[in-house]
Amino acid sequence: MKRALILSLSTFVAGVALPTAAVSGDDKPLYTVQDGVNVDENTYNGFKTWRAAACDRCHGPNQEGMVGPSLIESLKVLTREEFDKVLTDGRMAKGMPAWNTNQKVMDNLDDLYAYLKGRSDGAITKAKVRKIK
Amino acid sequence: MIAGLKHKVAAALACMTAAGFAVADADLDRAMKNPGNWASQAGDEYNQRYSSLDQINAGNVGNLQVAWTFSTGVLRGHEGSPLVIGDMMYIHSPFPNNVYAVDLNTQQIVWKHTPKQDSAVIAQMCCDTVNRGLAYGDGKVFLQRADSVLEALDAKTGKVVWQATNGDPKLGAVNTNAPHIFGDKVITGISGGEWGVRGYISAYNIKDGKMAWRGYSVGPDAEMLMDPAKSMTWADGKMQPVGKDSSLKTWKGDQWKIGGGTTWGWYSYDRAENLLYYGTGNPSTWNPTQRPGDNKWSMSIWARDLDTGMVKWVYQMTPHDEWDFDGINEMILADIDVKGKKRKALVHFDRNGFGYTLDRISGELLVAEKYDPVVNWATHVDMKTGRPQVVAQYSTEHNGEDVNSKGICPAALGTKDQQPAAFHPKTGLFYVPTNHVCMDYEPFEVEYTAGQPYVGATLAMYPAPNSHGGMGNFIAWDAGAGKIVWSKPEQFSVWSGALTTAGDVIFYGTLEGYLKAVNLKDGKELWKFKTPSGIIGNVFTYLHKGKQYVGVYSGIGGWAGIGMAAGLENDSDGLGAVGGYRDLQKYTNLGGSLTVFALP
Repeated sequence: MKRALILSLSTFVAGVALPTAAVSGDDKPLYTVQDGVNVDENTYNGFKTWRAAACDRCHGPNQEGMVGPSLIESLKVLTREEFDKVLTDGRMAKGMPAWNTNQKVMDNLDDLYAYLKGRSDGAITKAKVRKIK
Repeated sequence: MIAGLKHKVAAALACMTAAGFAVADADLDRAMKNPGNWASQAGDEYNQRYSSLDQINAGNVGNLQVAWTFSTGVLRGHEGSPLVIGDMMYIHSPFPNNVYAVDLNTQQIVWKHTPKQDSAVIAQMCCDTVNRGLAYGDGKVFLQRADSVLEALDAKTGKVVWQATNGDPKLGAVNTNAPHIFGDKVITGISGGEWGVRGYISAYNIKDGKMAWRGYSVGPDAEMLMDPAKSMTWADGKMQPVGKDSSLKTWKGDQWKIGGGTTWGWYSYDRAENLLYYGTGNPSTWNPTQRPGDNKWSMSIWARDLDTGMVKWVYQMTPHDEWDFDGINEMILADIDVKGKKRKALVHFDRNGFGYTLDRISGELLVAEKYDPVVNWATHVDMKTGRPQVVAQYSTEHNGEDVNSKGICPAALGTKDQQPAAFHPKTGLFYVPTNHVCMDYEPFEVEYTAGQPYVGATLAMYPAPNSHGGMGNFIAWDAGAGKIVWSKPEQFSVWSGALTTAGDVIFYGTLEGYLKAVNLKDGKELWKFKTPSGIIGNVFTYLHKGKQYVGVYSGIGGWAGIGMAAGLENDSDGLGAVGGYRDLQKYTNLGGSLTVFALP
């Protein structure tokens, strides 16, 4: 259900004017963006989770990939279920930690996904975002 | 046969000298005295990286050819170098830290050691899964594994003689450094400053792997092996006792317990003084606002008694770090003229961009000057207090949390990182591989969770603006005067350990993958060869059957390699220079191999 909606997202996003909203499974927008950098509270929280967990050390400050893969690309391919599984269990041999011992990451998977998906979709244009005032 | 005899002699000598006093390891001593060997990572105990071999010289180096190559079978960053003792070469790899003993007569693998390590360790390693190499002594080869296990292997068979667990990788305490053999001790450090690891240096008995002592970088005096009355530091223009609780009173509350000060560099040893020298890394976290105080003794140069670990002197280069300028880089010992006076000196090229010269016996600060003119975070080091004079514009604490401080030089990876410099006794100069990179740095609040990254800053790095456009220089440095003698620009950071030789040639590798030979006198390029991957390893040389060889690992990675494309949102940001790092992808790819050269 969720997956189907997300797959249809890109066409949807392309067609709408700012602010951009992407839809998640329960009809609530996955993320809302204004001017590319101002985001809703949940998405902002996703950014803060990304930063606190220091994901940039492997995936690059702009999610472009370094020793770890580009999340701009990965989030175009990964299903939501796969995303959760990789975050929870890790990909040890490749150096991706299992984050299941990090409560902050586990509690904020939805927000983290929203933020990274927004970056991958191109709707969020800079890695550093602000909260919509 | 020769090795067998060596073992017996070494064992006999060890019995004779098994007093509690640091005695030289006879086996290693003999190996190091023969210039045909490369028996320790720097070739000596002084970290000089100088070889007295001279068959390959400035006149004939242009004819150098590949003699043989060897694949390590592992990708990712290849730091350090192999060791050569007699007819045997000992080759190491990044995680999983495989070790190969190769017979130089047949180029056959005599034994291999393939440690089984939990792959969870990979994610705990901050800047790639590098390993800086092996140590040799007492008929054993020493491997400091990533998961912190220190292993002694029988040099003849590769069998594990003993193991010691040096840290808890679940808390981020992992290892990248090479172990060092000084006297009858194996010295090793710890990594994990970005995981809130409280750093320490440890000495293990070479015979049985029992810990002889451990000295912490921060915390109570007793745990640092600091004597408040006898351990000295530079203050008010002279050496003074550090006093009681010299570390504790520079931290808020018990933050020192997760305070960093890790120890993953290259150590050196003055036999006459029985002093061990090394540096400590950044205080945790990278957000300076969260940890008020000088955060002693992170970012410091240390001199400890090898037998007891007691601190003779300590000097903090970067009090209250705001830029991740780890102080772990190599300590080079040399007897040189400093401002007209002969000194037993310690020379150190810090990440913070200052080249320091200290009296290695007393600990007095003699010289502290910028070894890259673009360094801007401090105007100078006040020679009376020993403190850098920080420029407010580049102070990430002054500018505050969630503010992006722009244009700080050098970047966090320093004017130089771990890539070791070399000394040449003929010129009395130091030959230094450097970075020419600046950064934007934005600190933010973080919470500590055991075993999780504890960083707290976002960085963007780019070539030094308004310069030659490249990201590195290879320089000659006068440590007595604190001046650059010559500087050779490089397109990328020079992340390879240099080698000087009696043939008046200096060798170093580049991130594109070139091994270069330059003239001792003026740095003029004499020869270069493109190896399979980018070079972040250290150049070494040896003699086999009377013929001189020069070798180096190639295998791009490390912080330089993984950080190349990082930082800016697009090429037009940050003075249009980020394209420089991305360009690296045009030159090289991952790989792991050793290339060895000789004259035809």
